[in-house]
Amino acid sequence: MIYRIVHRTTYKYKYPVSVGNHVACLKPRSLPHHQSARSELRIQPRPATRTERVDFFGNRLCFFTVQEPHRELVVEARSEVTIDENSTPWLQQTLAWEEVAKSIPGDDSPAGLEAYQFGFESPRIRVQPQFADYARQSFLSGRPMLEALLDLTARIHKDFRFDSKATNVRTPTEEVFKKRRGVCQDFAHLQIACLRSLNLAARYVSGYLRTYPPPGRPRLVGADVSHAWVSAYCPGIGWLDMDPTNNVVPSDGHVTLAWGRDYGDVSPLRGLILGGGAHTLKVAVDMEPIEA
Amino acid sequence: MTLHLHESPSQSADAYDELSADGVTPRPHWAHLMESLQEIGPEELGRRWNRAERRIRENGITYNVYSDTLGAHRDWKIDIVPLLIPADEWRSIEAGIVQRAQLLSLLLEDLYGPQHLLTHGHFPAALLYGNPAFLRPLVGVSVPAHSYLHMLAIDLARSPDGQWWVLADRAQAPSGSGYALENRTIVSDVLPDLFRTSNVLRLAPFFRAQREALTNLSKRDNPRIVLLTPGPYNETYFEHSYIARYLGFTLAQGADLTVRNRRVYLKTVDGLEKVDVILRRVDDSFCDPLELRGDSLLGVPGLVDSVVAGNVKVANALGSGLIETAAIMPFLPGLSTHLLGEKLKLPSVATWWCGQSYALDWVLNNLDSVVVKPAFPSRGMEPVFGAEIPQAEKGKFAEQLRARPQEYVAQEQVALSTAPVWDQGCLNSRSVVLRTYVLNTGSGWIAIPGGLVRVAEAEGSVVSMQRGGHSKDAWVLWDGPIDTFSMLRPRNEPVELRRVPRVVPSSVADNVFWLGRYAERAQNLARILRAMIPRIRLAEEPELACLIRLHGCLESRYSKLPKAKRRRPTSLELEQEMTSMFTDAKRPDSLAHTLAEVYRIGDNVRERLSADMMFLIGQLRDFVQLEPKTQFLEYPAILTDCLELLSAFSGLERENINRGLGWLFMTIGRRLERAIYLTRQLREITTPLAEQDWSLLECLLEVADSSMTYRARYYTTLQPLAVLDVLMADETNPRSLDFQLSHLADLYQKLPRHVRDDLKAMRDALALLRSFDLRELKYPLPGAAMAGNGSDGLSRLEHFLRDLERLLPSWSNNLSSRYFSHARTLPISIGQ
Repeated sequence: MIYRIVHRTTYKYKYPVSVGNHVACLKPRSLPHHQSARSELRIQPRPATRTERVDFFGNRLCFFTVQEPHRELVVEARSEVTIDENSTPWLQQTLAWEEVAKSIPGDDSPAGLEAYQFGFESPRIRVQPQFADYARQSFLSGRPMLEALLDLTARIHKDFRFDSKATNVRTPTEEVFKKRRGVCQDFAHLQIACLRSLNLAARYVSGYLRTYPPPGRPRLVGADVSHAWVSAYCPGIGWLDMDPTNNVVPSDGHVTLAWGRDYGDVSPLRGLILGGGAHTLKVAVDMEPIEA
Repeated sequence: MTLHLHESPSQSADAYDELSADGVTPRPHWAHLMESLQEIGPEELGRRWNRAERRIRENGITYNVYSDTLGAHRDWKIDIVPLLIPADEWRSIEAGIVQRAQLLSLLLEDLYGPQHLLTHGHFPAALLYGNPAFLRPLVGVSVPAHSYLHMLAIDLARSPDGQWWVLADRAQAPSGSGYALENRTIVSDVLPDLFRTSNVLRLAPFFRAQREALTNLSKRDNPRIVLLTPGPYNETYFEHSYIARYLGFTLAQGADLTVRNRRVYLKTVDGLEKVDVILRRVDDSFCDPLELRGDSLLGVPGLVDSVVAGNVKVANALGSGLIETAAIMPFLPGLSTHLLGEKLKLPSVATWWCGQSYALDWVLNNLDSVVVKPAFPSRGMEPVFGAEIPQAEKGKFAEQLRARPQEYVAQEQVALSTAPVWDQGCLNSRSVVLRTYVLNTGSGWIAIPGGLVRVAEAEGSVVSMQRGGHSKDAWVLWDGPIDTFSMLRPRNEPVELRRVPRVVPSSVADNVFWLGRYAERAQNLARILRAMIPRIRLAEEPELACLIRLHGCLESRYSKLPKAKRRRPTSLELEQEMTSMFTDAKRPDSLAHTLAEVYRIGDNVRERLSADMMFLIGQLRDFVQLEPKTQFLEYPAILTDCLELLSAFSGLERENINRGLGWLFMTIGRRLERAIYLTRQLREITTPLAEQDWSLLECLLEVADSSMTYRARYYTTLQPLAVLDVLMADETNPRSLDFQLSHLADLYQKLPRHVRDDLKAMRDALALLRSFDLRELKYPLPGAAMAGNGSDGLSRLEHFLRDLERLLPSWSNNLSSRYFSHARTLPISIGQ
């Protein structure tokens, strides 16, 4: 499947911004089953400087500085991604989850170390007994890792309501857990908190999800959104993606932009501005399948 | 300095006494000092001590305490009696701390580099990944060989058997070396003979080496080095400014720096100046809100990227806070053998990291003898003394440890040694901790001879600077020749005369510019209020309309009056609006808020203002906190007092400030603000006034403090054109528009690298203003037809004032882009 994605972010400021330093994490990663052929950023006003760098987690960052007075900043990422269907091997018989939890800390191999670091608390995700208790209803004693993971994903989907008004980008996971409401970012954080509370390794994935128009209606341009889900480590298999918001296992409808310990590592666009006052933010994503 | 060391009283009886082995006879290296003190005698010592204390206050040596609700700067408390360390003992301490610095430096290099220690099992991965001080964006960044640590502070304590132990390692932004220096200056002044005859190793060579080491971090000749401070509210701000001055570096806060094109620059009025080396006193995770902690207000956005690009060196390197955790201590002996091929010379206080299962078991079995702390201090848990946990809660505590063992360390409690302190005429014993400093010179490591001794407040209490303890000097009594190099200029050497300070940071110019604007804004506001308030209650319908027009000149966005289109406000509503504009500090355009801003901005630049000015500003801030029962008609008298203070302030501004760049920006701010509100007020006159509205003229003259000028010329007849002449065209009236514009052009021209187009815009505006011949203007007189050909000139004038009203804020924005934020300016001109 080949997608063309346009992700347009518009900031409008009440007062002129004189200088803005920004970093964008908007170029899709390339993975074995997931190739990002073309990807470019268009920025208005034209940045005075612009550099690219691959971060600690392997994500593609773009740093730019706008240093002329402006009241509007537009960052448009245009990418083309080719995804192979179901490229991750699926084993019905995975290790019991306790074995997974036990094996990760002792694994000094590069892959093992790489995974281990996602087992710890991170700035936005605390490890807590309440998360462990919730997770244990899926992670029953001796249950295969994959089975437990699918069950937890389904439970979060069932127990939590999608509600874009209930939370914001800074809402702590504890509050999401209490309110039982939130958006994809919240559910991903919650599932990661559950897994890490059981000493399992899980990371946050930011990307896009293909949406389908209602039957008989045309596809609406710009109606898509950026999305987030979870990836958990299983020795011998690797990373298993889970989308708790939709209770699906991501396949060729999910485009991966970046991953990190939590949202803070991969927020699509962040920046510091001088001046500006209050601002409004508009995000429009358009994900168009151009070839099956 | 957040070390929390505790000592229980029962143990202090067994503590090592630095002064004496048997409690009676001084140890040999203390004999000379004891004799000298005896000779000087308590009375004379007391006198000298008072002199020293006065000097501390005069020098403004302070230590801010976070928990101090008054935000007061506390005086630095120092003790007159130094801690004495004999040469041989110092040699072994020095060897131990230098080795430790080498080891920790290598550890950092590996953990931020190839991570062989992890893959080969020499260092537990959990201690890296679980540590919030591990800054991932810095992994793999090339740092010149062995320069992760520029300076390391190591806290030492001596146990009852005489052995020195390491209590803590400080690599984040180690503080205290400046206080050590200041302590030395003071104590050697109080005890000059003793100091001279004791052959004490000097501190200055260490600081000279520090300056060289920082200079060498950059490849450039004459690099610019800045000391990055969190600012005046940090507890060790005094030290930051002291060290910056002593070493000749620029003191900068995050907002003084900017990253452009992956390079760090200091923002100054003269332009952007490249920064090569940053000596940081800001914790590393706060140094870059773009890539590290996004909530930090202390950092420089883009700093990490500049470090990654190799364009700036930061000391200590970003990320070095990693090795501060006590959890690494159990691994140091093994790492020393592995990395250095040597045994660890100086032991750490016994420490167990609970992430190792045998350590956890040991801790749980011996809870009573240890203190449990978070492995990663940023998690904010207070130390727990095992012995103090009630029996019933021990099980629960053990559960807590078992659930996330890697988050905890346990340490043995150390009985600190005691040293004599001078206390109201006699010597008492207090527990001490010695903070030592090791410096990376690039070709090796050297230690500050001695260091900063921190003293427990009372017998058996906590030793911690953040809780307001005090300190003493440490003398290493050397047995060889001494380097007496001094960084301070001898008193008899002439100073180089210098008229102009080297750099004016943009932040200072920015603040004084707004100080000028707000002080002027407050004055205008107070005058308008004072003109309106006494008139409201007596005002008949036409005059009320005038007052509403005068209020309209303020263009208040927060007005509580009904919209003019709907209906005319009643006098009661206007009265309430006046009260709100005067006293409502929550309203951004109120006088109360404006005065609070004057104070806030003044406080930002308090080091640049005289004490008198700060005093006035403080009084102004308190001004609008009115007694609850103050009557409306009492307001004018209060406003008059307030205006007196504001006049006193502008008087000081004129008479007491050097005509440097700071003054230029403050005055430009004032003129600009005055020009902006004058333009608005004048526009009220250019819209033809009906006769009943002419009382507005009187108010306007009063607001501009120009009633006398007017009366001297025109007696009592109020005529719009004559008022226009006084307030707009009279170039001799310091409150006329002509005066503001011509001064703005002159002042602006004096600024370095001013924008020619902006200068031209101001001059064009002035020329346009002067092109109006008021004598030729036909002002519709009462009774004449309101709209006629005669008012052509008048509408041209109104047009001009509208253009000017648009120009002035853009001109101000350009000024701030050019000098404060260093952004591109936009093309402006009058009439566009």
